[in-house]
Amino acid sequence: MTAGAAAEPLLTVSGLRISSRLQGTDRVITVGTSFSLAPGETLGIVGESGSGKSMTARALIGLLPAGVRAEGEVIYRGRNVLTMGGRELRQVRGAEIAMIFQDPFTMLNPLMQCGAQIVELVTDQDGKRPGRAARREEAARRLAEVGITDPAVADAYPFELSGGMRQRVGIAAAIARDPQVLIADEPSTALDVTTQREILARLREVQRARGMGLIMITHDLRVAFALCDRVLVLYAGSVLETAAAERMEAEPLHPYTLGLLLSDPPVDRRLSQMAAIPGSVPAPDQIASSCAFAPRCEWRAEPCTLAAPPLAEVAGDRWSACIRIPEITPEMQRARAEALAAQVGQDETAALPDDAGLPGAVVAARDLQKVFGDKRQSGRRVAALKGVTLEIGENEAVGLVGESGSGKTTLGRCLVGLETPTGGSVVVNGVDTRQAARLGSAERRRLRRTVQMVFQDPYSTLNPVRTVGSTLAEALSAADDQVRDVRRAVAELLEQVGLPARYAERKPVALSGGERQRVAVARALAVRPRLIVCDEPVSALDVSVQAQILNLLTAVRRELGVSYLFITHDLAVVRQVAERVYVLRQGEVVEQGSTSEVLDHPRHWYTRMLVDSIPSSEEAWLEQASAAEPAPSQG
Amino acid sequence: MTVITAPDAGTLVTPRKRGRRRPSLLIALSFLIVALVVICAFFGSQIAPFGANAQNLSLATQAPSAHHLLGTDDFGRDILSRLIVGARAAVIGPTLIAVGALIIGNALGLIAGYVGGRVDYFIMRLADLVWALPGLLIAIVVVGVIGGGYYVAVTVLIVLTFPVDARIVRGAALQQRNMPYVEAAGTLGISPWRVMLRHIWPNLLPLVMANTFLNFAFSLVALSGLSFLGLGVPLNTPDWGGMLAQNFSLIQSNAMACLGPAIALVLTATSMNLIGDWIYERLSDRGRAR
Repeated sequence: MTAGAAAEPLLTVSGLRISSRLQGTDRVITVGTSFSLAPGETLGIVGESGSGKSMTARALIGLLPAGVRAEGEVIYRGRNVLTMGGRELRQVRGAEIAMIFQDPFTMLNPLMQCGAQIVELVTDQDGKRPGRAARREEAARRLAEVGITDPAVADAYPFELSGGMRQRVGIAAAIARDPQVLIADEPSTALDVTTQREILARLREVQRARGMGLIMITHDLRVAFALCDRVLVLYAGSVLETAAAERMEAEPLHPYTLGLLLSDPPVDRRLSQMAAIPGSVPAPDQIASSCAFAPRCEWRAEPCTLAAPPLAEVAGDRWSACIRIPEITPEMQRARAEALAAQVGQDETAALPDDAGLPGAVVAARDLQKVFGDKRQSGRRVAALKGVTLEIGENEAVGLVGESGSGKTTLGRCLVGLETPTGGSVVVNGVDTRQAARLGSAERRRLRRTVQMVFQDPYSTLNPVRTVGSTLAEALSAADDQVRDVRRAVAELLEQVGLPARYAERKPVALSGGERQRVAVARALAVRPRLIVCDEPVSALDVSVQAQILNLLTAVRRELGVSYLFITHDLAVVRQVAERVYVLRQGEVVEQGSTSEVLDHPRHWYTRMLVDSIPSSEEAWLEQASAAEPAPSQG
Repeated sequence: MTVITAPDAGTLVTPRKRGRRRPSLLIALSFLIVALVVICAFFGSQIAPFGANAQNLSLATQAPSAHHLLGTDDFGRDILSRLIVGARAAVIGPTLIAVGALIIGNALGLIAGYVGGRVDYFIMRLADLVWALPGLLIAIVVVGVIGGGYYVAVTVLIVLTFPVDARIVRGAALQQRNMPYVEAAGTLGISPWRVMLRHIWPNLLPLVMANTFLNFAFSLVALSGLSFLGLGVPLNTPDWGGMLAQNFSLIQSNAMACLGPAIALVLTATSMNLIGDWIYERLSDRGRAR
């Protein structure tokens, strides 16, 4: 495959096949990836969970975990990284090819000062370790390169810094030995949206200044299009499409890429129904000897399942693994055009009167306060909520947005009853929960059931040792111990969330993330709640599955008339599901109003910052972020 | 009913039925040893070739022979028969201790971990208090002063063992308490007892089982230690620890008289530990989300 650039490629990967051997069975992770990276080029590797993107990144630097093997070739300056010995590898790592990891919270040694970590392996021309003063100077210079001008940071320990600052220190440490290739594995995923923009801008700045090759691993197409020159789409271990970023964004030439683009909710308008790719990501073994995407593809035909289609050039420097591209391109174009045109008429939002929530609020919070920590030690007290007033009406979907630490999850947990507020009141169904102590325990439990919660992490939301059926049956009988036919009731619940009845016999481990989240919704519905608090219900799911769950929640609401409080950092999600939105910052509501009003015409600077931080491929998006020198925030 | 249906993932995601891994040779051997000991515990007196207390002074202190496979002690009692009958004391006491500590320790640990606050504080200080006592020494003193034997020793050992269980279970329950599925059970209005027993406890099972087997092995050794000192088991009841003590002087004339019970003790205790580890691994595999 060509690099697209005329220059001699820095790194050439051909036929990279990664497999693991666990308990005697071989599992394929990637089936033979080939690409190359030119100096100064940014290559995006986009894939969902299980696509093999992280393993590919690790293979490039010889960091595969024990039991995982890589075959094929990774040629860096004429040498094959895969066949290098330990000593040779250590010389290449960091000095030639460096890597940044996802989690800025564990990537740095907590007991080492940041400056020392950055220059730990830096040597002078003679290969000697420079003196103390020289090292300090070097650390300060490196930090300045990633936009940290405060010299105190070099002496700080990682725990004293915010996530964004840590990630920048991580970048500084990764490039301290002037590598030619930088691999960034989801460098901004664990960060807040506003910080993400900063980090991406820094990365690009550093890369341009040094002419490094950058490989950006991400699950987010928006991020890839914003930052990368070329994008490679990886799915279940196979490369499905590769093209220049702007051309792929303009016209994807693989049904999967198209599906990813369409299932990414737009932030600027509301869709009546999001396009969702059915199913979930398979394991590479399960789709061997057929097109990886065939089981979920609406254009699947006989030849797709006969053999794994190779990556072929379908247009000028456009490579796709879809063999039906010539036939289906017009249809794909039409699908995209329809999706772009699809927009909820203002009528649906307008149909719900703006003041619908106010008189008959299902749940209302007044001047809600929550302070964590010891009452006696004022230094350890953290105010998570500083007087929040919020109302959720009958059959209303309300969004609650803010970054981590804004108190949005605490607010949700207070409404559900998982936290006890330290001040203010929560009124559920007209009953002040402070007076709940006076109610009988049965009465109190009924009150609790009025508000249910769907949690973020699909992997711990269900009890791993119990079957789906017993979890749901228990929830059903908690609400009404006179359920006659529990089996049928469970089957009905499963049907409501779009799962076949036989799933009742399965344990959570046999379900995909999206399926688990469906069961979690079913469990919440079992007790017939009037409000469901959804705490980031889709943020841990694959992009292609998120739309399914959002559509499900919308459908459930239409059918059962339940209200939602959507807690999320993603404004595009809020746009799709909520009529009203509250913007929370440091425990206070800074803006509220109808979703379209708030997102289209934000009045508060913080809301505006959130709106601006949504990745966009427009050149200006990253330029602005790097122009505005962000204040180094500590703590 | 609804418009959106999840795709039938049946072909894609099948319930993971792991090939039943066969236990290793060591585990199989451990099971065999424990099975033998348990059979002897129940049917010892029928299996044993001689009466456990049948004396034949003319055959005193004989080395192993075809007639007496492990020889005899200084009263002419058959060592093998005494070993077989002695298995009863080696099984019943430790089982009672392990199960007793399991019930008390798990109940207290669950309550402490789930309820928290003052209840937790009180239970844990109680556990600390018991833990601070020099365990076996107390057992020796109590059993020595009260006398009256085996079941007093068993009770004392239960009291000395349960704090360990309580502490382990509390730690694990604390971890579980904040898991979304436990919180979800709370918001559904399920009673705290049910949450503890049906939601939290089954998830601690690997830990609990492994610990119970360890407790068994520990109490087997502790009980035998007591009867080595002449405490606990009445003198005429065959018991491995007691045999070890009584036949110590015969080590020159019939080594098997004291090596036999020693080997039986070590093998049983080690087997129980190995089985505990194996069960822990088996159970942690089951239903774990990875």
